Amino acid sequence: MKNQLSFPLTNRKPGEIIAFDSRGARRVDQFLGEAVNLSKQLPARRYAINLFTDRYQYLLGFTAAIIAGQCTLMPPNRLKATLELLGEMFPDSYTLGDNTLADCEISRNVSRSGPPGEFPPDIPEISAEQLCAIAFTSGSTGTPTPNHKYWGTLRTGTLGNSELLFGELPRRLNMLATVPPQHMWGLETSILAPLFANTAISHLAPFYPQDIADALESLPDPRALISSPVHLDVLLRSGVRLGKLDWIFSATAPLSEDLARKLEAQYYTHVLELFGCTESGILASRQTATESLWRQSASFEFIPGREGILIRGAHLPGEVILPDVIELVGDHRFRWLGRHQDMINIAGKRGSLAELNHRLAAIPGVVDGIIFFPGNNPDRLAALVVAPKLKPAGILEALRSQIEPVFLPRPVYLVSGLPRQETGKLSRKAVLELFEKTSTMHKSGKRL
Amino acid sequence: MQTEQEKQLAELIIEALNLEDISAEEIQPDAPLFGEGLGLDSIDALELALAITQKYAIQLKANDQGMKQAFGTLRSLNAYIRENSS
Repeated sequence: MKNQLSFPLTNRKPGEIIAFDSRGARRVDQFLGEAVNLSKQLPARRYAINLFTDRYQYLLGFTAAIIAGQCTLMPPNRLKATLELLGEMFPDSYTLGDNTLADCEISRNVSRSGPPGEFPPDIPEISAEQLCAIAFTSGSTGTPTPNHKYWGTLRTGTLGNSELLFGELPRRLNMLATVPPQHMWGLETSILAPLFANTAISHLAPFYPQDIADALESLPDPRALISSPVHLDVLLRSGVRLGKLDWIFSATAPLSEDLARKLEAQYYTHVLELFGCTESGILASRQTATESLWRQSASFEFIPGREGILIRGAHLPGEVILPDVIELVGDHRFRWLGRHQDMINIAGKRGSLAELNHRLAAIPGVVDGIIFFPGNNPDRLAALVVAPKLKPAGILEALRSQIEPVFLPRPVYLVSGLPRQETGKLSRKAVLELFEKTSTMHKSGKRL
Repeated sequence: MQTEQEKQLAELIIEALNLEDISAEEIQPDAPLFGEGLGLDSIDALELALAITQKYAIQLKANDQGMKQAFGTLRSLNAYIRENSS
């Protein structure tokens, strides 16, 4: 007799549809049959490195490992060096993946491996304390830091996510993901959500815009796309037309209000941006096109502490210190100010570069601009600003009313444009080069 | 040696991906674009696909087996574009 708490592998009903693969819709009973079948074929080792790119097969591999009492390792990428490092860190591991991957010890393609067991099995009960996954955060040193995910955490976290992402789901939502299942964001939405919410996931892993359009077209209504700002930006700019799309869910990097608005206008859809970290999972959401404040998930408490915001959740194994700087504004809402890494400390005053840049961009007449550390002097910020109708003194005046004097950039140079990449990113190298060039011109009395 | 078409495509690659350190002539027609070679990653692939779509009016598809081979080298990518553009 087990006296510990356990939860079923899924709360979906046997006849419901949980996924779509090359054979068509997969029902929960078919899925369970295949997962139990696969669980009996896995090697008797503790850790599985699941490299399936077919998302239905990833789901089968992930759940089969759980049924077999094993834990799935989630490498931050599929590079050979990463996989070798994981193998060294976890000697009792094996790789599982598509048969196109020559390196996999266990290569199989479930859809071609014959029919599953004739009788749909009972839904397996999993101990809340079973270690099911280890996700890794890369950190600045490059050594992956493991984050342990227990069944109780994953299951309760997913129920909370469902409220935040889907609310009530009277009709099944059919989802397509462009993000890999090996990341927390992809795992939570495309692998775990179908186990606990009225959703079904496509097995496809579309990459180019036309692939995304085709894969969406293959799904019944209503549809949702799980993606990231990089992919969404390229999708929009490609001009590819999409069929009816009810929701876009975005995470992994900040989504700009501008991109969110354009996506909503172009595809007649709703864009929901999710916020979280590997240690906690999804913590908050907002409809970026119309909301600047984030709504906190009811599954977590946000507690201001000395080192930042502490995240507590009954289902988390411990407290998490949020790697972001946020301002709690009450009513379960917060404002995001920046990552801890961009926190700056000048003369004992703390600020965030992201916040300073946000203030700069908000000045009427400023088209584009960046505040940054030019290098040599750690106590001096500088700014490059595109503002055809303003003068540097006017920009400084506008900033002075809003920010601590130590954070005022000196000098402020007006330029005709910033060397942004097509993704909108600015490389530090390009910014410094432009700064150097502009600085030289100013010193020699010329204007750019 | 690059052909004139390959040189134009090399220029597009450099412009689309902001490869500041090399010139168009330095992209070897038969060297891999991704992995080793230029060491491009998947975000680069998306950006490059977008630039190709805009310049040559074709939509790339990864599902298509030809596409995986096409993105191998400058030469194969150029050949793919020529075959698929109208």
